[in-house]
Amino acid sequence: MYRKLLAFVLFITALTASAQEDLFDLFEDSEKPTELVYATFKGTRLINGQTLETPGGGVAQYIISHRFGSFSDRYFYNFMGLDNAQIRMQMDYGITDRLNIGAGRSSVLKVSDAFIKYRLLRQKTGANSFPFSLTLNSSVNYRGADYTDGFNHHNSDRLSYSNLAILGRKFNQKLSLQAAIGAVHWNLVPSPQDQNTIGVISFGGRYKLTNRMALTSEYSISTNTGVSNETLHFNPISVGIDVETGGHVFQFHLGNVRSMSDPYWLTRNPYNPTAGQLYLGFNISRVFTIRD
Amino acid sequence: MRLFTTFILLALSTSMMAQRYMSREATIEFEAGTGLEPIEAITNAASAAYDESNSQIAFQVLMTTFQFEKKLMREHFLENYVESEKFPKASFKGTYNNGTISGDLTIHGITKSIEVPGELTIDSGNATLTAAFSVLTADYGIEIPSVVKDKVAKSANIKVSANLKAL
Repeated sequence: MYRKLLAFVLFITALTASAQEDLFDLFEDSEKPTELVYATFKGTRLINGQTLETPGGGVAQYIISHRFGSFSDRYFYNFMGLDNAQIRMQMDYGITDRLNIGAGRSSVLKVSDAFIKYRLLRQKTGANSFPFSLTLNSSVNYRGADYTDGFNHHNSDRLSYSNLAILGRKFNQKLSLQAAIGAVHWNLVPSPQDQNTIGVISFGGRYKLTNRMALTSEYSISTNTGVSNETLHFNPISVGIDVETGGHVFQFHLGNVRSMSDPYWLTRNPYNPTAGQLYLGFNISRVFTIRD
Repeated sequence: MRLFTTFILLALSTSMMAQRYMSREATIEFEAGTGLEPIEAITNAASAAYDESNSQIAFQVLMTTFQFEKKLMREHFLENYVESEKFPKASFKGTYNNGTISGDLTIHGITKSIEVPGELTIDSGNATLTAAFSVLTADYGIEIPSVVKDKVAKSANIKVSANLKAL
């Protein structure tokens, strides 16, 4: 009896095996491939700060940034601040998908800078998933503007540095957050009470409103306890909008920041947002694929 | 005797299973440029299956496996066009009949019936399947913003080829 039943079951199986099962079931046992998380942020800069992103191997990038005049400074007379624009230009290149080098020039104190950025850890999904990305960024900055203190300065006096570890995560399609922690070093400070090395931490995030538009925000704190005019510091805070069109990213923002070289805006930002010292600004980036 | 019948039936049931063919290395390529800039991608990691007993065909591909020449183009494709985080896969389920493949194609979460020319040959435990066709991106709810409409075509030309092994 038992065998008859078994034979019957097998017979039915034989008849229906191929017809009944969904072909898609065949695909299911394959392991989910490990994938690098892409586009945590739209640009390599969020507003003022570096994001954890790099342009990718073989890709050159040009960024032009402006910070306009203040709301508190005869706003309409100065055509909404446009008459008093500060500028920074940046050219950078992705040597590999992880390694990025670049140089920039800012009109604020005629600072030239060079930076190196490396994606040490990358967020991944799938079989070998990894929860966050870590990018290291170092910059060296040279003040070109004349000193007005009457002393002769060595070239080394003009140098300042920033070293940041940028930790971030794309939480979902819309939300990405990062924290950049590190230090800024000034070779020259105006008085013995001013610190040469200042700790900084910068928080940033983006929330996508549509596929091509996102809300961004950035806030930084530092251990600066400077006592001189030059080292006066208010914590930089900015909000912005990212708009992406093909190879361009447009970033429009408002914040109490005008300097665009890292040590300057992170630790020597003299603009008090509560006194209306807020500035409109934008960054526009364009990428060019140099080699595949 | 009963044992023998059981054995025969067991053999039969396995042999009928073997009328299925499958590959995890099927090739899918597409091209959606207007001539201004090449917009093309290829993957060799699509899954494909064919069931001889009822002529059913199934395809499935992870959008993230498509390789582009430009990294940024891949990022735009995934993030802005096919929205791979919301809709990670494209799939097809249908039947082959005498040079015609017909069935349901799902891209970007939207399913449409298609009927396209294709070719299927079976030779010593291998099935080879090829098809070339084009789809309108608008049919699958993939929006092309006006700033890039000079560069991105309204339809994508898709080529599929798979060498399936008998299971």
